[in-house]
Amino acid sequence: MEAKYDFETKYRKQVLQCSRCGFCQAVCPVYGLTLRPSLNARGKMLLLKEIMDGQIDLDSEELVETLYQCTTCASCEENCPSGVNVPDIIKEARKDMVHIGSCHPAFKGMNEVLQESGNIYAEDEPEDFERKRNQKAENVYFIGCVGSYREDEATMSVLALLDRLKVDYTLIDEVCCTGVLEDLGYPMIDKHVRTNIDLILATGAKTVITGCPYCSRTFNNKPQYAELKEKGIRVVHIIQFLKDFDFGVQTEKRVTYHDPCDLGRHCGIYDEPREIIRKIAPNFVEMPHTRENALCCGAGGGVRGAYPKNSIGMARRRLKEVEEVDADILLTECNSCLHNFSNAKLRKQKFKIYNITQFISKLMEEGSEKDKA
Amino acid sequence: MDERVKKALIDIVGEEGYTDNLIDMVSYSYDASEHRHRPSCALWVESAEQVSEILKLANNELIPVIPRGAGTGLSGMAVPIRSGIVLDLSHMNRIISISIEDRMAVVQAGVIYSELEKALKPYGFFFPPDPASETVCTLGGNVITNAGGLRGAKYGTTRDYVLGLQVVLPDGRIMRTGSKTMKSVSGYELTRLFVGSEGTLGIVTEMNLKINPRPPKTSTSLATFDDLRDAGKAVSEIMHSGIIPSALEILGKHTILAINQNTDLNLPEVEVMLLVETDGYTKEETDFQMSIVLDVFKKNNCREIKRATSKEEATDLWKARKTAYAVLARIMTHFVLEDITVPMSKIPEMLEGVEAIAQRNNIRIATYGHAGDGNLHPQILYDGYDPEQVKNKEAATAELFKLSIDLGGTLTGEHGIGLSKAPFMKLEHDPVALDMMSSIKKLFDPNNILNPGKMALKD
Repeated sequence: MEAKYDFETKYRKQVLQCSRCGFCQAVCPVYGLTLRPSLNARGKMLLLKEIMDGQIDLDSEELVETLYQCTTCASCEENCPSGVNVPDIIKEARKDMVHIGSCHPAFKGMNEVLQESGNIYAEDEPEDFERKRNQKAENVYFIGCVGSYREDEATMSVLALLDRLKVDYTLIDEVCCTGVLEDLGYPMIDKHVRTNIDLILATGAKTVITGCPYCSRTFNNKPQYAELKEKGIRVVHIIQFLKDFDFGVQTEKRVTYHDPCDLGRHCGIYDEPREIIRKIAPNFVEMPHTRENALCCGAGGGVRGAYPKNSIGMARRRLKEVEEVDADILLTECNSCLHNFSNAKLRKQKFKIYNITQFISKLMEEGSEKDKA
Repeated sequence: MDERVKKALIDIVGEEGYTDNLIDMVSYSYDASEHRHRPSCALWVESAEQVSEILKLANNELIPVIPRGAGTGLSGMAVPIRSGIVLDLSHMNRIISISIEDRMAVVQAGVIYSELEKALKPYGFFFPPDPASETVCTLGGNVITNAGGLRGAKYGTTRDYVLGLQVVLPDGRIMRTGSKTMKSVSGYELTRLFVGSEGTLGIVTEMNLKINPRPPKTSTSLATFDDLRDAGKAVSEIMHSGIIPSALEILGKHTILAINQNTDLNLPEVEVMLLVETDGYTKEETDFQMSIVLDVFKKNNCREIKRATSKEEATDLWKARKTAYAVLARIMTHFVLEDITVPMSKIPEMLEGVEAIAQRNNIRIATYGHAGDGNLHPQILYDGYDPEQVKNKEAATAELFKLSIDLGGTLTGEHGIGLSKAPFMKLEHDPVALDMMSSIKKLFDPNNILNPGKMALKD
């Protein structure tokens, strides 16, 4: 029988390979919150199997709720004994769904916004950040949509940190990298890709430092941005860039760290953030779920936009672990995680949440104020 | 689902507790077995009182009710083969109390096995049955299937740890069985009747579980053999050597190859391997037991012995074993996983018999299992879209059951009868015993609403 959809052509064997053991239920953040098996990876694979068997149609409206409710955190893949690459299969199925006109309205909306606007929020006025822009420099600092329009304080802090460390960088009139669209079933947008590449090349920079781990993945892995690598430009996430710096500040506070999925499971970057944290916070403690097993903040894969209540619920599950280890400070290094955690934090939870860079910047600022005094 | 009944159900569990959404109906069609059938609706229940109201209604309306935990069962037990209402108990997930003084935990049916383990750890206690699906499966599911696990040889199965139950009967009455004491001979043993009853007699909502102090020290070793028979003889001999290992697992070649694909353990790719653990209160104690085990291995021509040098190494080995069946899906996307169990002395014959069945039916059977209690997991690997292989699979399955019964064994050591083994019940049980089972079912559930179509019970 000929495959009706691309997901089947590409992933038929993988979908069938799901042994239905259900081990993903132990790690899926959406299942962990809702306890609804149809939202778990196994539930999703069973639906795709029934589509391949002709039992149900991909355009059934009900499918949107589960196939679009996945943060693509990859915990299931990491823990799947049967070797099923669930996030990639879901992304491919979403493409098929978009193709037949079945898609969550929030994602459809995001695609429409990005056709017109240079950012996912359709904001007209970009933040200025009072830094040099589109000029010659050794490095480009690429902020990303969340850092530009929602977590601008965190971005001001990281820029202040780069200044203190005397890093030569320029901002650019960046637009959304559009990598996220492929996760939602849409193609990336060529004109935005072109804009970013041209602006980066014009600065003569050898390195692009991204504030957002997702942008970093997009620049490094998507063929649309291959030109950067071909022109000898290295793209690193801010945490990789800062690994070997000495900050000269320390805190006695009890600090813990949340691995963003895009940095951890998707890129294998677990040690660099911890090395940096140990330099500034000797009183470092791990949460029960950490590194490969870290719980997802609930914001990824477009879930924050489409299922805000569950997205916040997932963040709250993670924040409970911060309480469990009695930390004063929760650090991460992803504006999306930071944003979701900040929204989810309850007033009675007394710990503070920062990006690592933001926290270091704050310590340095406090240090220099003390020096002045 | 009939609109009137639907409304009545929603009155009991609320809008958020009811679903007949396609995505839920598909996911509730399955467990971890090869069976599937869609229910009419599913309910997320929060209390025994809700369950009681639901059963009263279903009993009046003659609608099947199928209890479900995590859906990790391997015999189709939770598959709603005659449609009806799936009762998802996973939201009833509270550990009600842990009393170390009384060596008892009281838990709701939906508590996940490893959550109880986590709660007991600070006290140095554990709940010994050790199902491989520990991070996912629910304790209610363990009780209702009488689940076993890797520690069976030394510590027994779930049955040995259930002291009392709260059960909702099909007519809606709520009953307490057993006690909170270590022993009790007060009246008929109703508790044990429900353990392993596969959801056919009542819905278990709460359990009093006996807990044990956890021996703090363990030793783990693995031994490789070129000949299946030698490994079988070694197993038999260990079990009458005077010591009982806390786990003794056998892994055949296909299983080893698949594990190597999934991990970086680099297990030696030999014909057969035995994985063994001894436990105790001092290192000397576990090492002493292990030395006896290793002597038996050597005597039976093992090729190589490797001892786990760190706790992490041992943990990795056991984790690899626990994921074996799902790992095998990498080799072949369709499989059936059996759990035939024979008297300990018959293990060598069973191992040889399984190999012969595979050859005779021209089908691949990966073998592993809890050698220490005579429980083997032959996993038949086949292509479900190839009619020839499906036929061979069915023939091989029937032969496996016959082999086990001929050796004085049983159809199922720990997965249950469910749908998969119902056609073979007659092989194992005489007509009188089968008749008694149907009579008991009739006594509790005269309208046959609870999990109908399972366990070969008469309608």
